[in-house]
Amino acid sequence: MSKVPRSFRLLEELEKGEKGLGPESCSYGLSDSDDITMTKWNGTILGPPHSNHENRIYSVLIECGPSYPDEPPKVKFVSKINLPCVNSTTGEVVKEKFHTLKEWKRSYTMETVLLELRKEMATPSNKKLLQPQEGTTFE
Amino acid sequence: MAALPKRIIKETERLVSDPVPGITAEPHEDNLRYFQVTIEGPQQSPYENGVFQLELFLPDDYPMEAPKVRFLTKIYHPNIDRLGRICLDVLKNNWSPALQIRTVLLSVQALLASPNPNDPLANDVAEEWIKHEDTAIAKAKEWTKLYAKPTQDEEPAKE
Repeated sequence: MSKVPRSFRLLEELEKGEKGLGPESCSYGLSDSDDITMTKWNGTILGPPHSNHENRIYSVLIECGPSYPDEPPKVKFVSKINLPCVNSTTGEVVKEKFHTLKEWKRSYTMETVLLELRKEMATPSNKKLLQPQEGTTFE
Repeated sequence: MAALPKRIIKETERLVSDPVPGITAEPHEDNLRYFQVTIEGPQQSPYENGVFQLELFLPDDYPMEAPKVRFLTKIYHPNIDRLGRICLDVLKNNWSPALQIRTVLLSVQALLASPNPNDPLANDVAEEWIKHEDTAIAKAKEWTKLYAKPTQDEEPAKE
């Protein structure tokens, strides 16, 4: 397999996101449709059923730096959430505490990140965690 | 990484030894399927005197699949969107393995010479192009001056 350069990889992801070809439980798009570097993205995650996240929609910011996808993106929750891998003050997803970012592979996409975060919300130890009031946001 | 197919090696060699006038294409050292491209704006077009940066990638299935091409320089054109994506038949349905990197880049250059607002990718630009062609062309010229500057450190063209 040849190595798809950053921008064409991001264009593929953008197209998939725009056409809604991915799963319904998450979505993502460019924050600024004029940004030719395609660095900043908005994502949403639909809270998994049978958890304290059920029916909630979480907004996240994703930053794909110049070395993406060789390096993982930076991910930050906008909506307040109580989750061990999320910094409770800033909303940042802590790389060392979230396996998808920690053991990043080039084949992973933004969709992988969003879906894995959703799984994280639904683990037996996390799904009953007390959650902040719905609609509140990190600074 | 798998060896580079002969076809790609040959095309690359020819792009260097027998370059297309007004077009350069050079592979990146660390990825020989990924090219840095420049296209000069065609004469008598609104893009005249501009030098546009593009990137081109040959996917695994090339030449069964078309190259992927994108503008990196901002450009006001009805068939090129704000992210530099290009609406061009030979990059999509009309791709044929008989075409090459050089023919694709020539088609892109031809697209600059003859914008096609009836098959738009950038709808706002196309609308302006159809309704107020003079204004649209003036804007395309202005953007060319602003963004499509020849790079300073470029070697002067050899005679």
